[in-house]
Amino acid sequence: MASRAAGEDTPKVEILKDALYEEMTQHGSSDRLYNQNDLINLNIIPKNDLSLLLKVVQGLCDDRLLIATSDNRMGIAWRYRSREDAKKYTSLPNNETAMVYELIDEAGGDGIWSRTLKGRLKIHESVLKTCIKYLETKGYITDMKSVEHPNKKMYIKANLRPSDRATGGPWYTDSNLDEAFITGLERIIFNFIRMKSAHFREGATKVPKKGVAGGAGAAARGKKRAATEMSEEGTPAAAPAPTAHGAPGRRQSSYLPFPAGYNYYPTAHEIAEFISISGITNNTTLSEDDVQQLVDILCYDGLIEPVVVGRRRGYRTARISRLEPDDAAKLKEEEESGEESRLGPPPVSNGFVEAPCGRCPVFELCEEGGPVNPSNCVYFQRWLGLE
Amino acid sequence: MKVTKDLAELCALLIDEIYGELPSRIFAVLLNRGRSSLGQLGQYTSMTPRQLRHGLAVLIQQNLLYYYIDNDTKTATYEANPEPAYNLIRTGKILEMVESAHGAPVKDVMQSLLLLGQTRVSDLKAAYEEKIKRSTEGAQHANSDLDMVDGEAPPAAKKANLPVKSARQLNSIICRLAEAELVDVVHGLTFASPEDIQKDVEERVTRVKFPGGVKGGKGKTEFEEAVAMELCKIRRESKSLKRKLEESGATAAKRRKLLNGGVTAVNGVNGDHDADGDPVLDPRQVIRVNYEKCLVELRNRRLVQFASEMIGDTSSYVYGVVLRQLTKKVSRCHTDPNMDIGDMGDEDGTRQPVVTTMEILDNLPTTIDPSNGLAKVARSRINKLSAEAVQPNPPDPNKIPFLGGGDDEDDDESDESDVEMNGKHESEDESDKDAKSGVNGTAGKVRFAEPARKEGRVDMLRQHLYLLAENRIPFIRQCANEQWTVDFTILVQHLREAELDAVIERTVGRQGLRLVRILRKNGKLDEKALPSISLMKKSDVQNKMLEMEIAGFVDIQEVPRDNSRTANRTIFLWYTDTDRCIHTLLNNTYKTATRCLQRLSVHRRKEKDVLLLTKRTDVKGREKDVMQKEYYDRFAKLLEVERKLLGHMMRMDEMVAVLRDY
Repeated sequence: MASRAAGEDTPKVEILKDALYEEMTQHGSSDRLYNQNDLINLNIIPKNDLSLLLKVVQGLCDDRLLIATSDNRMGIAWRYRSREDAKKYTSLPNNETAMVYELIDEAGGDGIWSRTLKGRLKIHESVLKTCIKYLETKGYITDMKSVEHPNKKMYIKANLRPSDRATGGPWYTDSNLDEAFITGLERIIFNFIRMKSAHFREGATKVPKKGVAGGAGAAARGKKRAATEMSEEGTPAAAPAPTAHGAPGRRQSSYLPFPAGYNYYPTAHEIAEFISISGITNNTTLSEDDVQQLVDILCYDGLIEPVVVGRRRGYRTARISRLEPDDAAKLKEEEESGEESRLGPPPVSNGFVEAPCGRCPVFELCEEGGPVNPSNCVYFQRWLGLE
Repeated sequence: MKVTKDLAELCALLIDEIYGELPSRIFAVLLNRGRSSLGQLGQYTSMTPRQLRHGLAVLIQQNLLYYYIDNDTKTATYEANPEPAYNLIRTGKILEMVESAHGAPVKDVMQSLLLLGQTRVSDLKAAYEEKIKRSTEGAQHANSDLDMVDGEAPPAAKKANLPVKSARQLNSIICRLAEAELVDVVHGLTFASPEDIQKDVEERVTRVKFPGGVKGGKGKTEFEEAVAMELCKIRRESKSLKRKLEESGATAAKRRKLLNGGVTAVNGVNGDHDADGDPVLDPRQVIRVNYEKCLVELRNRRLVQFASEMIGDTSSYVYGVVLRQLTKKVSRCHTDPNMDIGDMGDEDGTRQPVVTTMEILDNLPTTIDPSNGLAKVARSRINKLSAEAVQPNPPDPNKIPFLGGGDDEDDDESDESDVEMNGKHESEDESDKDAKSGVNGTAGKVRFAEPARKEGRVDMLRQHLYLLAENRIPFIRQCANEQWTVDFTILVQHLREAELDAVIERTVGRQGLRLVRILRKNGKLDEKALPSISLMKKSDVQNKMLEMEIAGFVDIQEVPRDNSRTANRTIFLWYTDTDRCIHTLLNNTYKTATRCLQRLSVHRRKEKDVLLLTKRTDVKGREKDVMQKEYYDRFAKLLEVERKLLGHMMRMDEMVAVLRDY
């Protein structure tokens, strides 16, 4: 077909090809699909000559400037490819290399597995290897690692960045789950929620007998606290610091819950805002969804709980009364030792897990008269302090 | 009550611990073999009929047996009753509960009842009279302290070593216990197993009301209703004492007055009341401890503890008052599916009890200051509508509330004016209380001088109630304006889950708990979806899941994608079955309690010689002075071990109660 077109009016087709291509680039990005009608409506092809259009499109496809695709809704359609990219194709030595490059190109940001390449193209391993090697040395493609398939050898176009699916989003650095980053953020979010969702009563303040003055004072303090916090950029870990300079003979500090219907429990949106303003994550941007994911984790961990007030879905710390205020000395100690302390209140305990049996590795085997039995139990001996 | 192997073992051990080996062996055989006659028992145990009769007598005395007499053959068959057997473990806790709620003398009577099993009132009286006679002089000295029966002055008990000082007091205590339903009446059918009663009643109903047989769906429901009515009648039998008390008009308030009069009478002012003044107390009446009601009270205590854990102490006190008011008429934690069908209009009240805010306020002890335990914020920061929303229907128990999507139904009811009015009214009351010496006028002035603090006691109380209602755990529900109720079934389910979660967290760590909760919320999840939801490393997730599968907290389902069933063509779905976990945990708890008891007997066996020594009459009671130091140290150590193990069994029982009974 192409040879026949070349025989007749080549110059005209060449001009039309250029014109059509230019017009297509003017009409949208390289992701836009054009079907036959769209192309005709561009008013490049004179007299809506379909056979002429066929020739022009065929020519463009041969030059790798157009990519034919099929779309469920539109039928067969085309999209254009930039001239530089097309040049890369034309500079390739043989068809196999071009096909390999095409598949990698199509895979986009997700990358493609070398075995998939082989399977799709049905070419020999060695041929594929030389193709890939050639493309790699030319700098057209590069290998990548996907989080989902860490052991597969994947390839991606060199000028593309791996997609979020391949990198795992903000939680991964160098395709490894960045646990330190996650726990750090969890801590920050937890402290933020704790600060905003519970009233901190300092140990030193004496509540007057009827609580008149104290009540007003507490209310004022509560308000001030909440208001300033909005604009404050300081690290939330510093928030409960007042305990540190409490009077020596202080009463026990504690957190108090807000009354029901409290309208200012932080929402995921506010938390995301706080994180982005504070600039803790300087080189990664966290979307609200990412923050929501972290918040959900905290919920699953039982550290915070959702509260729905009206249409507002806020979060507050769970088991407020059991929350222990941060001890400045303890915090420092942790910093020095480099150990992360446990977030939130101490875990609930019950009789079962404290008995030796609750955590006995051979509990199932234990039976009177068996090889493991209550009489010769070493755990009980230790637990009863008889060793 | 489903009896597992571990529970059977535990029950036998408990009976052994308290009543000795003979009843324990018979009980164990009955549990293992099921209903047996005396002859069969002889075969199974190779004991003489004489021994068996002795053992059976003890068991019957403690209501540990059911028996059934066949009218045709005139033979009796016996069946184990595991519930009271298990309840033996709970004795200490019940006594403690009774003491804190009703005072030391009541506890003493309860203790006697628990020790004696079912007792005739006259016998109990005789026992106490004997005791009183023995220490009359002590009693006379302490008579002025008698008003401690009200439960407010238990220290008096320490002064005189006899907590119950007169037959009159005993009488009133028994009435009091009966009224609180902590004690009920033994009647003929107490010893028939529920199945027998059910069968009997069904037969009778068919004979009397449905001679032609039960036909059709309508007939069936009618039949069921008739059976339920009969069963309820039988159940009510045990409450006859309470009813009689109520009918005779001897309510708590009146009797208290009577009793106070009695005190003065003993002091010699007005001596015409005789010792057993309450005519309703038939001396031949046999009474026993009603464990079902005790459980209700224990559940209240546990729930208060739970509320304090989740919210705060002050709120939990308020909650305690709410629960006390609500459960006054509740006789048992679980409704019986056979008896409580539909709206039976049973006096026990299958309908949900309701308490109003004012009732709560009336019963709130004055020592509790509801202004504590809550942060104060400006009114503008409160969404009143949401906080005070009325939820007329209980939440759907099938819906998992954890992380569930928020249904925000905003009821447009606003009772602001009402609140305002009540608030003012109450604050006046309160200032009255504050300025005890002051007159009303000054109190009013104080209030005007502080316009910022308009919130009265009732407002603060309301705040606590709202807070309880708002919590993730549905502690309380405002079912109508200013009316509160508690959905116990749902609440206890949460409590169970919390208990299970504590075990999971302690066994496999916080991350394990995270995974379990994710599964609980999402149902079945593909192995590949878990790491991204939990933000954990894939390998970590896999290890944790394996660990938890071994521990029995999660399970896996394999769904092959094709017939080849190879591993890489199979979808692996993780899931967690909370109910099953709870059952396993329950059984493990039985087992742990059993191990504690067994361990105790191991220690006792080891120190047999010391124990033999302490049993000698010349040593008993003054071990420290008489025994050699070496021996005494061993004895003290054993006591220490015993205390630890028995204490731990109590904690196991606490778990069993949560997981099974509440």
